[in-house]
Amino acid sequence: MKRRDFLKLGGATAFAALFGGCDNLPKKLVPFVIPPENYTLGESLWYASVCRQCPAGCGIVVRVSEGRAKKIEGNPLHPVNSGKLCARGQAGLQALYHPERLGRPLKLSGPRGSGKFTETSWEDALSILMTGLKKIRAEAPGSLLMLAEPMRGHRNLVVHRFLRAFGAPAPVAWDPFGHDALLAANEDVFGIRDIPEYDIANARYLLSFSGDFLETWLSPVHYGRAYGRMRQERPTVRGKFVHFGPRLSMTAANADVFLPIAPGTEGFAALGIAHVMVREKLTPSPAASSLWTAGLRQMTPETVGEKTGLRPSDIEAVAREFAGNQPGLAIAGDGAAGCTNGTFHFSAAALLNVLAGNLGKPGGLSFPDRRSAFPRAGADASTLAPLPESGFASVRNTLEKMRGGAFQVALLSGETNPAFTLPAGLKFPESLLSVPLVVSFSSFLDETSSLSDLVLPVPTYLEEWGDDIAPAGHSGDAVGLLQPVIEPFRDARPMPDILIAAAKELGGPVAAALPWKNFRECLEQGYTGMGVNLENARREGGIFSRKGSLSRTAKRAGNPPLPKAIEASYEGDAARYPLVLHVYPSIALSDGRGANLSWLQEMPDPISTAVWRNWVEVHPKTAESLGIADGDGVVVTSPFGSMEAFAVLHPAVAKGTAAMPLGQGHTRYGRNAAGRGGNPFSLLPVKDTAGAKSHARQSTRVSIAKARIKGKLVRTVNVEGQWKYENIL
Amino acid sequence: MQRPSPQAVIAASLFAFALIAASVASFAETPQPVAYSHRIHVTDNKIDCRFCHSSANKSASARIPPVEKCMSCHRVIATDRPEIKKIAQYWREKKPIYWNRVTELPDYVYFPHMRMVNAGVPCLTCHPGMDRADGAVQKREFTMGWCMDCHKKRGVSIDCWTCHI
Ligand code: SF4
Repeated sequence: MKRRDFLKLGGATAFAALFGGCDNLPKKLVPFVIPPENYTLGESLWYASVCRQCPAGCGIVVRVSEGRAKKIEGNPLHPVNSGKLCARGQAGLQALYHPERLGRPLKLSGPRGSGKFTETSWEDALSILMTGLKKIRAEAPGSLLMLAEPMRGHRNLVVHRFLRAFGAPAPVAWDPFGHDALLAANEDVFGIRDIPEYDIANARYLLSFSGDFLETWLSPVHYGRAYGRMRQERPTVRGKFVHFGPRLSMTAANADVFLPIAPGTEGFAALGIAHVMVREKLTPSPAASSLWTAGLRQMTPETVGEKTGLRPSDIEAVAREFAGNQPGLAIAGDGAAGCTNGTFHFSAAALLNVLAGNLGKPGGLSFPDRRSAFPRAGADASTLAPLPESGFASVRNTLEKMRGGAFQVALLSGETNPAFTLPAGLKFPESLLSVPLVVSFSSFLDETSSLSDLVLPVPTYLEEWGDDIAPAGHSGDAVGLLQPVIEPFRDARPMPDILIAAAKELGGPVAAALPWKNFRECLEQGYTGMGVNLENARREGGIFSRKGSLSRTAKRAGNPPLPKAIEASYEGDAARYPLVLHVYPSIALSDGRGANLSWLQEMPDPISTAVWRNWVEVHPKTAESLGIADGDGVVVTSPFGSMEAFAVLHPAVAKGTAAMPLGQGHTRYGRNAAGRGGNPFSLLPVKDTAGAKSHARQSTRVSIAKARIKGKLVRTVNVEGQWKYENIL
Repeated sequence: MQRPSPQAVIAASLFAFALIAASVASFAETPQPVAYSHRIHVTDNKIDCRFCHSSANKSASARIPPVEKCMSCHRVIATDRPEIKKIAQYWREKKPIYWNRVTELPDYVYFPHMRMVNAGVPCLTCHPGMDRADGAVQKREFTMGWCMDCHKKRGVSIDCWTCHI
């Protein structure tokens, strides 16, 4: 093209732009009909509240402009996350404005479980609920069941009081990533059944046994921040971090040293280190001599090396470094918790902390008294700050009773979605369908709420009053307060409000147990009763007294027993199912609750860089023996089910292991979650972690076979490709 | 030197014509869904501009009053007039009024109302004749030179970045 022609063309474009542009200018001014309170056009307001995208309970501040929530950030005053926020927290806006959010009550219009609903009025919906409740109130109050995610704060208090006064059993809570193994191990080793505060920020040496504390475990933003400080805050010390695990997680990728081990051998690696520390008298702990029993003497670096796949010299080197760099901290996490011997892994890691003489010291671990925030709550304190258990055992019992016809009415609430996250062997959908009336409190139709007769739309956490006591990240005295950041724009009602209204209508002791006008009044009475100035507290996002540590003393810290070494066991015959399945919570979708948010779906996984789909990671050598290439469609089969995924070859996955993120594979969770491959939860057996009664996720073998699958795996960057020598040289 | 091609001449003159047409058009009254009269409110009834444009001293935007604001008076005042009935209808249906925009500055200009209002510049300095208009009019062309004149006269910042951000 000649330059003149180009200019001519340019002139024509400018001309078109002039006229086209005129028409496209925003020509209308649309004021509100009724403006929100406190509203000034063009001026933002920031409201403090609490994130509920995962159980960590970080503090948030939400920018609200023109009556709409525009951005979520971390609350700098909140001790858990001190101003930071993870990707899931950021995506909260999408949950709030999701086009598939329920705005009206839904009534079943087809067979149960068909997912066919019609909209109905609140009057109609509540009358169905009340008829159901009144029917069982007189004859069989015990046949009312509430199944929820683990709740905290006054929300939990309202539910507990309602059920107790009704005469129904306590609510059954289910969290696929509860911390039962950690609690059980702490009871064994320290004599305290609680979650400790790990002072990672001040540690000089950090050992992790499949503890993915930067991704999803316990309080990722809190520990992520602490980790940054451990590495960079001190002028002369840069803390060292060594990670043991069967898979290169993002946390592992951030370690100085990643030592891959066979799945389910974390506890042995820890005992190997303990062996070296005691044998070489590297520990200040007085417990050392009494620990030198046959059990520990057996755990030589050679024996442990054989079990775990580690080099004995590595075990010795890490043990000496760990002992020589005080304070050193050892943690174990989700990857270890799901093994059948999960409690053993946690006990072994706790033992290392005892040997390092770490209890109650900076850079070590302490046990704050989380209930001290509620000195006057009395018996209710345990419902305000409950232990973060998974509740697997009680879910299993409940489902059995359900099938026996013990329940007439079931109320479902929360984000956990048991129909998706429980192993298929528990027959959750079938059991639930045997309950005559099932009512869900839910913002979205998912696998669980689609099984109900009635779905009552509830607000998202950004439109609710509430309070929250985080399970980790503070010295036991921090209470986060939730407040609605925008005026509700859907016809939703908060679950505690519905229960309070229902109690009024039921009258008698139930009404007396919930004497408040609404949930907001319940909260306000609770906190003003404690002498809290609520207006100030809401401005700050909660009550953070910063009194310093309110540590309890551990009963047994000085003299722990040696944890009994237990081998991990796996379902499935090794000949038919050659690979061990290692599942892990997805950093973006956590247990699957984030799968309907497109921001999280399109967030590349930090290791595989995959988006929007499900995959299975295998070692290139393992893949070669199975005849699988990178990106191939495969079917993963366990003795309990099978699912589709794409193969991702990865050199840092233990050989003989198939690693898979959880969270994808939804069948009823809206269009963003649909068609993303299978659900790895469906491959899992119904099996307990020994001693902790949580679900043993890492306890089955699988086989992988090539298969034709629709679509392909999209990765934003080909990391392995960049690692090839020809690309580096 | 080459002479410009005939196409370019035509394009240039059309361009000039369009500019003139656009600026003339903006001086005329724009039809609105409700025939609101500034004259009746400001001149006849002496209502302060900021009663309705209530964020003029707080925010960059002066704000168009919400329907609620209209109704706060017209629930009882002049309820039988056809235009007021229209507003009442919007209110009953809880629908916003889609006003047509009259004044607009380009995106690269940052114009904060509150700076001017709080510095004591009367509204009518920039919106002359608004108090006597039946409707909303733009009588003054917001050219840069005009802004600069005023800024210089008052001795306030004429730094480029004051307005162009
Ligand atoms: S860690 Fe959990 S609570 Fe904290 S910001 Fe992320 S999703 Fe929210």
